[in-house]
Amino acid sequence: WLYYNIYQSYLFLLLSPLFHCPFPSLFSISPPFLLSPSFSHLSLLSASSPPDMEAQYTLTRAQRVRAAMFPETLVEGEAVLAAQKDPGQQTNVQQLAEPSQLLKTAIVHLINYQDDAELATRAVPELTKLLADEDAVVVNKAAMIVNQLTRKEASRRVLMSSPQMVAAVIRAMQNTGDMETARCAASVLHSLSHQREGLLAIFKSGGIPALVRMLSSPMESVLFYAITTLHNLLLHQEGAKMAVRLADGLQRMVPLLKKSNPKFLAITTDCLQLLSYGNQESKLIILANGGPEGLVFIMRNYNYEKLLWTTSRVLKVLSVCPSNKPAIVEAGGMQALGQHLTGSSQRLTQNCLWTLRNLSDAATKQEGLDGLLQVLVSQLGSDDVNMLTCATGILSNLTCNNSRNKALVTQCGGVEALIHAVLRAGEKEDVAEPAVCALRHLTSRHQDAELAQNAVRLHYGIPAIVKLLGQPHYWPVVKATVGLIRNLALCPVNQAPLRDAGAIPRLVNLLLKAHQDTQRHASSAQQTYQDGVRMEEIVEGCTGALHILARDPVNRGEIASMQTIPLFVQLLYSYVENVKRVSAGVLCELALDKQSAEMIDAEGASAPLMELLHSSNEGIATYAAAVLFRISEDKSSDYRKRVSVELTHSLFKHDPVAWEMVRPASGSDAPYSLGGVSTGCRRTTLLGRLPCPAIVHFIRCLGGLDWLMPLGCLKPIQYLSNLPLLQERTVA
Amino acid sequence: MNREEAPGKSPEEMYIQQKVRVLLMLKKMGSNLTQNEEAFLRNYAGVVHAQMSQLPQHNIDQGAEDVVMAFSRQETEDRRQ
Repeated sequence: WLYYNIYQSYLFLLLSPLFHCPFPSLFSISPPFLLSPSFSHLSLLSASSPPDMEAQYTLTRAQRVRAAMFPETLVEGEAVLAAQKDPGQQTNVQQLAEPSQLLKTAIVHLINYQDDAELATRAVPELTKLLADEDAVVVNKAAMIVNQLTRKEASRRVLMSSPQMVAAVIRAMQNTGDMETARCAASVLHSLSHQREGLLAIFKSGGIPALVRMLSSPMESVLFYAITTLHNLLLHQEGAKMAVRLADGLQRMVPLLKKSNPKFLAITTDCLQLLSYGNQESKLIILANGGPEGLVFIMRNYNYEKLLWTTSRVLKVLSVCPSNKPAIVEAGGMQALGQHLTGSSQRLTQNCLWTLRNLSDAATKQEGLDGLLQVLVSQLGSDDVNMLTCATGILSNLTCNNSRNKALVTQCGGVEALIHAVLRAGEKEDVAEPAVCALRHLTSRHQDAELAQNAVRLHYGIPAIVKLLGQPHYWPVVKATVGLIRNLALCPVNQAPLRDAGAIPRLVNLLLKAHQDTQRHASSAQQTYQDGVRMEEIVEGCTGALHILARDPVNRGEIASMQTIPLFVQLLYSYVENVKRVSAGVLCELALDKQSAEMIDAEGASAPLMELLHSSNEGIATYAAAVLFRISEDKSSDYRKRVSVELTHSLFKHDPVAWEMVRPASGSDAPYSLGGVSTGCRRTTLLGRLPCPAIVHFIRCLGGLDWLMPLGCLKPIQYLSNLPLLQERTVA
Repeated sequence: MNREEAPGKSPEEMYIQQKVRVLLMLKKMGSNLTQNEEAFLRNYAGVVHAQMSQLPQHNIDQGAEDVVMAFSRQETEDRRQ
C-alpha cells in the first residue's frame, strides 16, 4: 500500500506540468488512502478551476491516465475516449504510457525481489541437506526445486552465495544415476555460470572436473549444459583453463566434434580454441585425439557461419604447430579452408586465409588445389592489405617446386595479377617479397616457364621489378628480385628491356656492396646477415643474374666495361660452391669476347680454374674448362696439352693416401688454392697441407716446376723454394 | 668430364674428345658458343655423335632452387567477436 501510494505521487509529479496543475503536496494525502478505479482522489487537484466543467474534464483525463498506467484494470469492452483533435498525433498521456508501465513493473519487481530472497535464504540449508539424501527421489525433487529457484535472480544470488549449496549440487550431479537429476543439477550450474559470483562458486567447489565428466553423458541436454558452463568458465574465470586441462578436458572435448548440432559444435570448438591458444601441450593433445580430422570435417560439411568461424580459429591456432600442420594438410585442410574464401563473412575469409598461409609451406606437394589457386589469383586484385599478404604468401609457397601448380597459376593469369600486386605493394615487404618469390617460381623449372617470362614483359613488369633493386634495400626483396631477373633473362627477348631498365648497373653495384661486406667479415667466423639474408646469397644471386644477362652480346660488353672481371676472378676462390659456379659461368660467357678473354687471362684466372676442373659439380667443371679453352685459343700447343693433361688426370689419382690427406672434411669444395695469393677469401694453401712425397708426385704430374710459370703461379714457386727437399729444383 | 685414361689415344685425340664434350655440355646448359666452337663441333660430328649419348640426362645448371617461406612462426590472436 505504501509503495503504491508513493508510486502514484511520483506519477503526479511527472504528469502535473502537463496538466498545468500545481503539484499536490504529499502531506495533503490523508491516510488511509485507497485508490479507487474512478480516481476519486483527483479532488486533490487545484480547486481554482470552474467546478462543473473542470470536474468533467479531469474525470475524463483521469480515466485516460488510469488506462495508460494500469491497462489491466480496464473492464472488458471498456474504451477511453481519445482527447486529441488529430488522431495521428499522440497525446502526452499516450506518450507517457510505456515509460510509466516500465516504472510500475520495476517497483513490483522490487517488492517481489525481497520476497524471493527471503524465501531462498530460508530454503537453502534444507535443500542442501536434501541434495545429499540417500533416497534418489528426494534428491531428484530437491534438484528440481533448486533448479526452479535459479529462474529468479534474487533466489539465484542466494544460491550462488552458498558454497555448501553449490558443492551439494555438484556432488548430486556427478553421483546420481538418474538422468533427470543430473539434468537439473547441470541446469543449476549453467544458470549460476552467468554471473561472476556463480562462476567463482563453481570453480571453488570443484565443479570443473565434474563438468568435464558430464561431457561423456549420453543425455544431450546434460552435454549442452556442461559444455556451455565450461565455456563460460573458460571465458571468464581465472584458473579455469588450467583446471580443465588437468581434468583431461581436451581429451573429452575433441571426440564431441563428431556431434551434429551446429550450435553445440560452435561452443565446443570455441572451448578448444581457448584451451589451445599459446599452449603447445594442448595442441598436441588435440592432435593425438584426432582433432585435425574433426575440425576439417566441420569446415567441409557445415555452413553455419559462427561454427565455421570458431572452427577456423582453432585451425589457425593449430596451424603454427609443426606437428599439427602436416596432419591438417593431410586431412584435406587446404581444400576445406579454400571453400570459404568467397563468402560474405569477412571474418571467416580472413581467418581461413591466415590459416592457409601458415599451412602453405607444408602443402607444396598437395594435389587437388586447383580451385584454391584460382581463387587466390583472383584475390590478388583486392585492395585489402591483409588479403594481399595472405594470397601472395600462399601462392609463393604453393608454387615452390611444384610444376603443376606453377603451370596452372601461369595459365590463369597469375603473372599479370602478381605484377599488379607488386605495383600496389609499395614498401609493404610482406606483400612484395612473396609476390616476387612467386614470380620467380613461375619463371623457371616448368613447362610454361617461358610463357611466364614473356608475360612479365608483356604486362610491363620489368621496370617495376628492376626498381625493387633500388634503395632502401630490404634484402629479402632484393634477393628474390635478383633471382627473378636471372630467370627473366633466360628469355632472349627480355634481355634488351632488362638492359634498358638499368638492371646491369644496379646488379653490379649490389654485387660490389655485398662482396665488400663479406670481405669485411672474412677474418671473423661470423657470417654477415642483413634482414635475415646472408651477403654471400646476394653475391651469388647478382652474379647468377649477370651470368645469364651476359648471354646477350650487348649486355656482355656493358658488364665487362664496368670492370667486373677482376671481381669475378676473385669469386672463383670463394668457399661457397654456388658462388664458384656462377662466377665461372659469367666468365665463360664473357670469354666469348676476345678482349674479355685476354683480361680474364691477365687476372690470373687460370690457376683457380685449373682447380675447378676437379670439382664434383659438373656445371663448375664445365664452365671452368670452357673458360680455359677460350683463353688458351691463342696459346701454344704445349699449353693446351697441359690443360688437357689436367683435364685427364685428377690430382693424386694414383696416390689415394695423399689425396685423402688434403681432401676437404665436408662435402663442399676445399677452401684451398695454389699458393697464398690473398683475395680475402677464406682458404689455406694446398701446398702447405701436403706431405713432401705428395708434393714431389704432384710436381712430376705437372711436368716439373717450370710448367707452373705460364699459369702465373709465382707465389707457389716462392713457397716451394723454401722447402729444403725441393730447393735444388726451384726455378729462379 | 672424362677423367679416365683412354689408352691408345693420342693427346690430340684426347683434346678433341674433351673439348667436344665441354662444348656439348655448355650447349645443354644454355650457354652460347663462338663461331669457331660451332665450326669445331661440325668438323668433329662423329665425336659429337658418340658423346651425345654420354651426356648426363638431368638438368645441370638451373639457377637457385625454389625456397618455401616459413610464415607460421608465431600466433596472432584475433579479436573475439
